Amino acid sequence: MKDIILRNRYSLLTTVLAAYVLVVVIEGAVTGREPDWLRFDNSLFTFDLRQLDALDGIDIDFN
Amino acid sequence: MNKFQWVQFQALLKREVLEHKNLFIWAPVVLGLLIFVINFLILSSLTDNDYEQFLSFLARFFGSGDVQSIAPTFVFPTLPFLGILYICAILYLTNTLYQDRKELSILFWQSMPVSNFKTVLSKLVAIIVIAPIFYVAVIFALYLIGILWLIFSGLSYDIEVAGLGYMFLTATLSLPIVYLFAVTSALWLLPFIGWLILFSAFANRTPLLWAIGSLALILFLEGFLFGSDFLSNWIETRSDIDNFLIVDYGGVFDRLFSYDMVIGIVIGSILVSGAIYMRRFVD
Repeated sequence: MKDIILRNRYSLLTTVLAAYVLVVVIEGAVTGREPDWLRFDNSLFTFDLRQLDALDGIDIDFN
Repeated sequence: MNKFQWVQFQALLKREVLEHKNLFIWAPVVLGLLIFVINFLILSSLTDNDYEQFLSFLARFFGSGDVQSIAPTFVFPTLPFLGILYICAILYLTNTLYQDRKELSILFWQSMPVSNFKTVLSKLVAIIVIAPIFYVAVIFALYLIGILWLIFSGLSYDIEVAGLGYMFLTATLSLPIVYLFAVTSALWLLPFIGWLILFSAFANRTPLLWAIGSLALILFLEGFLFGSDFLSNWIETRSDIDNFLIVDYGGVFDRLFSYDMVIGIVIGSILVSGAIYMRRFVD
């Protein structure tokens, strides 16, 4: 097995990428990971872009 | 690690810094000078009255002495430095192992009693732990010059400058947070680091193109063959800055000791191991 993996640079790259993809896919399937680009949450501020419609009520008179 | 190994590892780190002075030292210095010149031009354009009011405002604002609570806000002005650090890190990681093979210096290093593991580890430690030290040092120098300038200006306008001293203290207290932010974000991004260094060890030419092209191909194949999006979800959650933005000490521990950090380090380690084994192919 070791000889096959380390036969040349391409077999090693394929093995490493296969291991990487396998772990990411299993971890993603188990945890149900989904990205959340719209929410910023840290100790200074919390900001959710989905709640921007709350700003609709603000009426600014420029005149 | 015995004393000889430790000295050997220090020599490897020193080699990395000396060979990449442009990325480690000159890049932050040039950015620091640029920021200083821009600030100088902006403040020079103010009238005497406006400048005096500006100094009085700073002295009053920071004169409260509550340096601990204001310190986190000084993390944000350092973001340009961290941006440059990330760009330099990408350039460094994609070229470092590739350059060793291109210049054939890999043959020299492999003839020395230095393992491939130590060589790759020294490159990771150099970019994750050592490089941010230089960047933080430049930020500190910038703060020091800026504050001295403001204090001397304040004295010439007869302004109470004690508040400016507190401002310097606040800025200095933020520097350990900036350093920890840089190190923690690098650990969070270890899968990206591993990916780049793997292709740096693999590619015979244009390693960055190989890295980007392979990623695009894998993402396309996953979507086209299986109709799933596990890989793109993984990349999107990893690259979301809110997941590694740190503005206080509490944030460091929250990020470091979390499941997401551990799984990132595990997956990054797979790719780094690949880079270490890839070093045996010198053709």
